[in-house]
Amino acid sequence: MKEFDLEIVTPARVCYTGKVESVTVPGSLGEFQVLVNHAPILSTFEIGGIKVVENKESSLYFATSGGTVDVIQNKVLILANAAEKPEEIDVARAEKSAERARNRIRESGKEIDIMRAEASLARALNRIKISTWR
Amino acid sequence: MPTLRDIRGRIRGVQSTQKITKAMKMVAAAKLRRAQDAIINARPYAKKISVTLGRLIGDEERENSIYLAEKENVENILLVVVTADRGLCGAFNTNIIKEATAYHKKMMKEEGKNVDLFCIGKKGYDFFRKRDFNVVGNAVGVFQGLNPDKSNQLADLIIKPYVEGKYDQIYFVYNEFKSVVSQKIISEDFLPITVRFNPEEKKYIDNYIYEPSRKKIVEYMLPKYLQNQVWRVLLESNAAEFGARMTAMDNATTNASDLMKSLRLTYNKARQAAITKEILEIVSGANALKKSGS
Repeated sequence: MKEFDLEIVTPARVCYTGKVESVTVPGSLGEFQVLVNHAPILSTFEIGGIKVVENKESSLYFATSGGTVDVIQNKVLILANAAEKPEEIDVARAEKSAERARNRIRESGKEIDIMRAEASLARALNRIKISTWR
Repeated sequence: MPTLRDIRGRIRGVQSTQKITKAMKMVAAAKLRRAQDAIINARPYAKKISVTLGRLIGDEERENSIYLAEKENVENILLVVVTADRGLCGAFNTNIIKEATAYHKKMMKEEGKNVDLFCIGKKGYDFFRKRDFNVVGNAVGVFQGLNPDKSNQLADLIIKPYVEGKYDQIYFVYNEFKSVVSQKIISEDFLPITVRFNPEEKKYIDNYIYEPSRKKIVEYMLPKYLQNQVWRVLLESNAAEFGARMTAMDNATTNASDLMKSLRLTYNKARQAAITKEILEIVSGANALKKSGS
């Protein structure tokens, strides 16, 4: 048995459930890969891409904006704030929101607004980047 | 005895009411479908986040986090009442108001605590502000165009006075969506967070690797958990509201049909009586003529 159970859940829906061979997440202390019989770990992760390898033939990608990953007893639970497959990403919308964020950074004086806009920009750029992954 | 005209007028009235209730039922049914999908898709996350959170909370966390620490003396309670913005949905709002009032009374009178209210939804707000309750906040209109941003802002608004120490406990009363025809009233603690880990998992939990650190993850997850709770409650109540409205409007439509049926019967009887009376008059008049002629 090389497989383990993976669940990717967001507040809006369950994005993925199934048996997989490996999953790679953009952990807060650096990207890491989970294989079968991984030691129990609980980690936060940042904006980036999640890679899921189901088997030799098929793997999937998700664009995510952060969350937590919980690995215990060959059960991996990813609680993501958002997770989208590359083909689901609306690139035009992401570009628009990146543009909006850039404008806000340029125009706004308040630090909190800039921080928010930067986070929003990072999310938009991430979605644009991952939309090309296959 | 009502005249034929009166009855005709009433039938027309009932008919137009029925048209409205029928239309409202259709609208509620359409909205219900979306609201139902939203809550059913949102439930897994809400459930799983408490599982993961449970694995993080030990005695140390419980003591050190404001969100987790239980106060020894609970004096001030914030009661969050979730009703709908609109009526015509059966006992949906009434039941919540009743439950909240009972809780309020119990805590104030029997246990001598101070209970303030926060009303989500216009119906509850309208009820409580006119009576002897201390309503400290309200959110009217959140259900229109409900989205996570709105919900998170609302969550922050509710959590803030707790963090500032104004309240020792926050309690929620809301409708849970059970099925299209049934709602369940839920009263539960919101703060302090009562999530606990499963004792069976203890041996794994002790071996966990935490990245970046247990403390950081707890700090990250607690606000997230609370926001998600509020989001879930809003979605539950929203779906339950449409379910309740649909059922109520369906009943109203059926009742209107029944009423119309009995009104038609009365109308036809009255019409027949009038005709019979007329014939009787004509016949007796004709008979009288015949007698006087012969």
